[in-house]
Amino acid sequence: MNGNCRGPEHISRRALLKGALATTAGVAVANWGGLFSSQTIAAEAQKRGKRCILLWMNGGASQIDTFDMKPGRPTGGPFREIKTKVPGYHMCEYLPRMAVIADRLGIIRSMRTQSPDHPEGIYQMHTCYKQSERMPHPELGAMIAKYLGQADADLPSFVRMGPTGNTGSGYLGPRHEPFSIDRNGKLPSFTSPYLLPAREERRNELLLAMEAEAKQASAADVYESHRVAKERAWRLLRAKSLFDTTKEWPSHEPLYGASEFGRGCFLARKLVEAGVPFVEVGQDNYDSHADNFVCHKANMQVLDPAWSGLLIDLERTGQLEDTLVVWMGEVGRTPTINNRAGRDHFIKGWTVVLAGGGIKGGVVYGSTDADGSDVAENPVSEGDLFATIYTTLGINPRVKHFVGTRPVWATPEGSQPVKELLA
Amino acid sequence: MNFEKATLLWSMPWDADWVSAVSFIGGKHVAAGNNRGEILLWELPDAPETAPAEAAQAPSDADKGEKPLHSAPPPARQFVGHSNVINRLVSAEDRWLISASNDHTIRYWDLNAPADASAKVILNARAIDEAARSKSSGRKAPPPLAAEIRTQPAAKIIEGQEWIVGLALTHDQSALIAGDDAGTVTIYDRAAGTEKKRWQIKGWAYAVALAPDQKQAVASERFPLVFDSDKHVGLKLWDATTGTMQHDLSKDFKDMKIGAAAYSPDGKVLAIGRGGEADGNNGKVFLIDPATGKKQREFTPGHLNGLTDLCFHPDGQHLLSSGRDTVVRVWNLADGKLVKELGKPRGGQFKDWIHAISLSPDGSRLATADMAGFVHVWEFGS
Repeated sequence: MNGNCRGPEHISRRALLKGALATTAGVAVANWGGLFSSQTIAAEAQKRGKRCILLWMNGGASQIDTFDMKPGRPTGGPFREIKTKVPGYHMCEYLPRMAVIADRLGIIRSMRTQSPDHPEGIYQMHTCYKQSERMPHPELGAMIAKYLGQADADLPSFVRMGPTGNTGSGYLGPRHEPFSIDRNGKLPSFTSPYLLPAREERRNELLLAMEAEAKQASAADVYESHRVAKERAWRLLRAKSLFDTTKEWPSHEPLYGASEFGRGCFLARKLVEAGVPFVEVGQDNYDSHADNFVCHKANMQVLDPAWSGLLIDLERTGQLEDTLVVWMGEVGRTPTINNRAGRDHFIKGWTVVLAGGGIKGGVVYGSTDADGSDVAENPVSEGDLFATIYTTLGINPRVKHFVGTRPVWATPEGSQPVKELLA
Repeated sequence: MNFEKATLLWSMPWDADWVSAVSFIGGKHVAAGNNRGEILLWELPDAPETAPAEAAQAPSDADKGEKPLHSAPPPARQFVGHSNVINRLVSAEDRWLISASNDHTIRYWDLNAPADASAKVILNARAIDEAARSKSSGRKAPPPLAAEIRTQPAAKIIEGQEWIVGLALTHDQSALIAGDDAGTVTIYDRAAGTEKKRWQIKGWAYAVALAPDQKQAVASERFPLVFDSDKHVGLKLWDATTGTMQHDLSKDFKDMKIGAAAYSPDGKVLAIGRGGEADGNNGKVFLIDPATGKKQREFTPGHLNGLTDLCFHPDGQHLLSSGRDTVVRVWNLADGKLVKELGKPRGGQFKDWIHAISLSPDGSRLATADMAGFVHVWEFGS
């Protein structure tokens, strides 16, 4: 037993169908977001050529053991702090490589969020809306795929690897559904053709013709979802080699660290370089209700080279300026250490870190009180965070979509970007 | 020794932080360390005072159903210098205390050295603080348990490079083995504190032990990721003279984080215990033949939620184990039967741990490090 909560597992197919079947629950009439209303915004955002990589800390990383340390306090724990490139700001001793590049980071230490448990937290930290709203909100990656993706690209616009979000594209429709792969770049089995190319092509033409006929008979969204998924798979086959990191990895391993997560970060860097606007890479093991400190120490030894390696690699390949890297999970962890040597879920004052893509580096925004038990200044909500992310990527955080006739916005009313973090 | 007739003599309060390590030094002294890196020393009185009725009730939160016979003696000394969690304490020659800490050091403390400086400690500081924090609930702060102590710095410091989690002495007290989170296993000449052999294992070292003849060592390995493919646990027997592996037992103890290990005084039995947060009662003790690496026996029931420490009794016939279930168990080595259980699970799914145990040199007394903020001393019947 490890003390971690095991949330319900979801598969991308389910997520894909969720968007299409939203109508059957009578929750909302999905029309894929009212495409006409957002094309101009998309074109404008695409011009900027921005991209985003989300490093998802599944389970919820401890802010006190990473970026908001409380040395000498009862809540402090056994980790010691080290100096960083930002004068006066210290972080955990087990993030030494990140400390050296802290001047590239925009650190929000004052996240005060609403969903304390995993399924709801994962949903809300991927959509900025509460799951209980009964609206099929799209997750961050889908929104970015919509506004920054190229419709005719061979590569998917939204790739995710490892333990990540599972909400899907919601009201934005199947075109923006995530494409899930392994962190070592292994693609789903359906991407491997088992027919000769000529036969495959004939078969596909036949399938398209049949589906076109079926669509005339029934305009149900499920047919559209299936057709879109197949089309994406065919296009993907043309770019499949990009996902293979076998040859490059040995020379990059020292930078990213010898871990699966590190390799995922490297692949993410390759994908954004090739034009994928959103990649999410998950790291597991943070839900440390027991043995928090050894769990976090091991995690940080994987995270530190992988994350710093990604930022350094993006910078040296000239991509950091246009690539926003977000580090977050669904919750923080309690300041109090429980009698399993663990920390539990916490939403009253935790940390998210942004870097690149137009984020001002070396900024530490907000703070918590002496023991880290609440935000002391500048609370940031889920909506504020997403507004910051969308703004720096050139997406209007108040862009309006329609689900049926009902208007819905990319961020909740009142959400404000954290201006101090915008370069 | 009559283990059935075990009496709780003293429950010494010290709640500054979790009590994480304990060791007898000779038969008269007990030292304990905590998560802050503090170490206190108690001298056990020859003629203890009988505990008054209300004092005997005092530690009831930490030890339901067990009331100490005597009033707790105050601590006599504090060993100062560590700055992080004390993971293990061992002692030698009825004089030396040796500590391993998350501050990357092993320190030697000499009971014969003078302790000149003085200090005052409040032994129930946490209880007072917690009562003050929850004033609104009407909870009353207990009166402070203050003690005047002498403080003493370390006589010797061995610098390491990471958290030193594993530390054990050979039965003849001539050699010391340490394991750290850099994956280094090191054998020292105990008296001189000089390094004799060092080797690297995969991941981090967790439990370590050195055979009485100093020819074999055991080290458990971990890299405690939970779901990730980069996680690692292992258990290996090593030739301690060359640092080469003799037996890889990782498959026999698949996915088990072995948190404690000890060789029997004759070196013919190696005991290991499953630590970390084990599922249910799986915090079991296993006996291994060190010559072959084969599992000989496993003791049931295991400790609920994981085992924390192991200790062979000097009679060579019994083994003691402690766990995250706040109990200590005495096992008969020959038939694997549970002879005695000391303490009681405190209820709830998870409730405190006994972090460590230590036997007096004659085996008549047992000291336990109680995470709730106590050092308990038990006496077995004669």
